[in-house]
Amino acid sequence: MEQSILGIAETKAKILEGRTLLLAGDENALRKLPKGNWIGGTIPYFITRPLGGLASRSMVHVTDVTDAVAAFEIIRYDHGSLSRVFTDGAEHGFSFIVLPARSIAHLAFALNAPGYNDFGVRPLVGWISGVHLDDLGEVTPKVFNGQTGAMFSEGGLVLHADLAPGKVANVGIVNLFEQGDGDVLTFPVDGFSAREVLVNGVKEDFASYIRRNELDTRLPLVANYYGVMVNTSFQGIDDAEGEVTFYAPVFKGLQYKHAKPVEDYETAFKNRLEAEGQVAEDRVAFSCNCILNYLYSGLEGKRTEPFVGPITFGEIAYQLLNQTLVFLEVGDV
Amino acid sequence: MELPAKSHPVWADIVTGKAHYDLKFMAAKIFIGRCSRLIEEDSSPEMLKSCTEKLHGLYAKNTGNPAAQEDLKTISG
Repeated sequence: MEQSILGIAETKAKILEGRTLLLAGDENALRKLPKGNWIGGTIPYFITRPLGGLASRSMVHVTDVTDAVAAFEIIRYDHGSLSRVFTDGAEHGFSFIVLPARSIAHLAFALNAPGYNDFGVRPLVGWISGVHLDDLGEVTPKVFNGQTGAMFSEGGLVLHADLAPGKVANVGIVNLFEQGDGDVLTFPVDGFSAREVLVNGVKEDFASYIRRNELDTRLPLVANYYGVMVNTSFQGIDDAEGEVTFYAPVFKGLQYKHAKPVEDYETAFKNRLEAEGQVAEDRVAFSCNCILNYLYSGLEGKRTEPFVGPITFGEIAYQLLNQTLVFLEVGDV
Repeated sequence: MELPAKSHPVWADIVTGKAHYDLKFMAAKIFIGRCSRLIEEDSSPEMLKSCTEKLHGLYAKNTGNPAAQEDLKTISG
């Protein structure tokens, strides 16, 4: 398994060798690639081994999973059929998903994945494709099926992989955010936006609450799922409408807290890995990190070994996550 | 490593919060987190049965996963 940042010619060569690849790059870069055993999504931001965080419209992030995968199929799902994502696929394998940001499929997956049939029966990892920040609103995020050459801005693509014999896959995350010591926030309905919030059980206008308490909206809301810290990031506050929007849904009844600040992402990241035990580089089959971490923590030029990969508009580890590094580990049984 | 039977009370104890284990398998932890919330809203026997059976199923289908194996050792004591 190998993750690298390559030019178009080098990426083409790998495709023509018949390698099984998970690709990420600017739309114009991915359009130049030949058909082959690959699945891709659009994004021009990466964390790379030699250079750390960088933006490039001409390079492609190439994750080569050939040696870990015995067989695979790529399936396109719409917002309805996505409910089969855990049911389809090999019993001894993993599934890799790419969804275009703000597509109906993205929104449907975000809201409904935790309730899909067979949730978690096999590792599901992936990301939300995006665009260069200069192109926001001008260009739509896309996903590419390398086998057919098709490109979509709606619906999701999943590569269901059969693991090679003797291999086992596991999904992990590195989330530097923890719940702060402030109020317990709950929401009356599921959704990507909220007008009302219950603050320690008392109903309030959420936008007013944020303004009054001067919450730093670069820090996410954090929910504790039996010890797994799951972030929901703020997208914006519409004071006129009294509406707060998020990059992932909040769920009714779940207890959230505003996150503690992370002073220095790179240092905190290294400390976290040392505390939790390093993941061997040769076991990392895929990893990605969030555009908000890239922006707010200034990851351009910063390194997060052993993890590299696309910088994404959302991360998927069984369900949609925000401001979280997600990885797929493949090792020997 | 032993997978407790679907009817074993340990599964209900986990999803209702009666017992807390230091679990490692991420999918299970997310699932338990969601179940706890669902059971708070609807504590009917049907909901409890659905959550415990699905949690058991999640471990039954992931017996090869090292994190799930570790959890089963923890749960089985």
